[in-house]
Amino acid sequence: MIYLDSAATSLQKPPEVARAMAQAVSRYASPGRGGYSASAAAAECAFRCRTELAGLLGAAGPEQIIFTSSATHGLNIAIRSLVSSGDQVVISGYEHNAVTRTLESIPNLEVRVAATKLFSQEADLEAFRSQIDRQTKAVICTHVSNVFGYILPIGEIATLCRERGVPLIVDASQSAGVLPVKTEEWKAAYVAMPGHKGLYGPQGTGILACGKESNPTPLLTGGTGSESRMQQMPSYLPDSQEAGTHNMPGIAGLHAGVQFVRRIGTERILAHERQLIRTLAEQLNMLPDVKLYLPGNRAVQSGVLSFRIEGRDCETVSEQLGQRGIALRAGLHCAPLAHQLAGTSETGTIRASVSAFSRQMDVMALAAALRNKMEI
Amino acid sequence: MVYYLLICRSLTYAQRTAAVLERAGISAHILRSPAAISTTGCSHSVKISQRRLAQALVVLKKVEMTPKQIYMTEADGSYREVRL
Repeated sequence: MIYLDSAATSLQKPPEVARAMAQAVSRYASPGRGGYSASAAAAECAFRCRTELAGLLGAAGPEQIIFTSSATHGLNIAIRSLVSSGDQVVISGYEHNAVTRTLESIPNLEVRVAATKLFSQEADLEAFRSQIDRQTKAVICTHVSNVFGYILPIGEIATLCRERGVPLIVDASQSAGVLPVKTEEWKAAYVAMPGHKGLYGPQGTGILACGKESNPTPLLTGGTGSESRMQQMPSYLPDSQEAGTHNMPGIAGLHAGVQFVRRIGTERILAHERQLIRTLAEQLNMLPDVKLYLPGNRAVQSGVLSFRIEGRDCETVSEQLGQRGIALRAGLHCAPLAHQLAGTSETGTIRASVSAFSRQMDVMALAAALRNKMEI
Repeated sequence: MVYYLLICRSLTYAQRTAAVLERAGISAHILRSPAAISTTGCSHSVKISQRRLAQALVVLKKVEMTPKQIYMTEADGSYREVRL
């Protein structure tokens, strides 16, 4: 199979991820719950993973790293910790439903969308500048659009938030493992991400990196292996957010994935992904009926490319390519706001997304299949 | 053998504490705190030898880490809190 849906999940993982998971299943008990070696081994694995993640994500330390089940889980913790009924928040025009549906579930919330035109970092920053005011309780911004691969000016938005004294929540779902994530440098309140995309861990893993001053409200309550006599959740991280038994096979796999990313380096991974997207864009540009959604400035593009074929239904094309062994994602990608901005709300787009394991021949195969689209 | 237990607020904090001490050449072992000294229920401690307490506290202070409580073992196996 030619897999070009890494923005959904990176299907191809370093082999050590599966090995670490298999080992965890048979060797790791619940971390910290007992004094025996299988519990201590699990605790050691979790700690190493937290430490590795804190390094990669620029967090203050391993305690600021919360294991979640997904980016959505982390975003729910972050949003519900900072935003209540009657508040006002500012979001980017590229937010995923993980953000917008969570906001929608909070009654009487005013949601301001900082959106002007597609793929303009200057316009985005200006939109945030004009939308944030004294009533703003939080700014929520994705680092990279999951639809278009467009990189938002998160450093500048973070500076703006600091100047205005507004907590920032970053959705790093598409950037973690590909771009530098700087939790403390940005002074972000929270940075949420999945473990199974650019970090090459398994599905069912996620991370919420918490700023040094953040004190999130527990979303789940239950046993933590600490302060068991108390009926309130512990007040400190990470225990306050990690009720229940940890997903040790997931954490072990995630640890192996993060080690892989740190070994290769985000710069090399980004360069590789950009090169593939550039090749694909060049190939598709030669096709008369294909419309690409690409920023003019290539420096704000990551490893995702959205396109449409005039007169063809996106889902049908994607389905047919799937039958030929080419895996893509079509539709609205759970991000209707981004499609509104691009004017593709009705049609959707076809999205190709690559990873460290994608090859030149993969994108060439997609281009060749589309060149022969009349046969599709 | 007499030793000290540095009670930590969480397992992760205990792991960080032990890592800092080990890096400074102080042998540190993480264990679940004995029930007799775990006032709020379950907790984790870092065990260090009697002669390394002063050095350990200096090392931890440098990185702004503080144990929740410190206990010393008595000859009869009981624990006595150490007030600093």
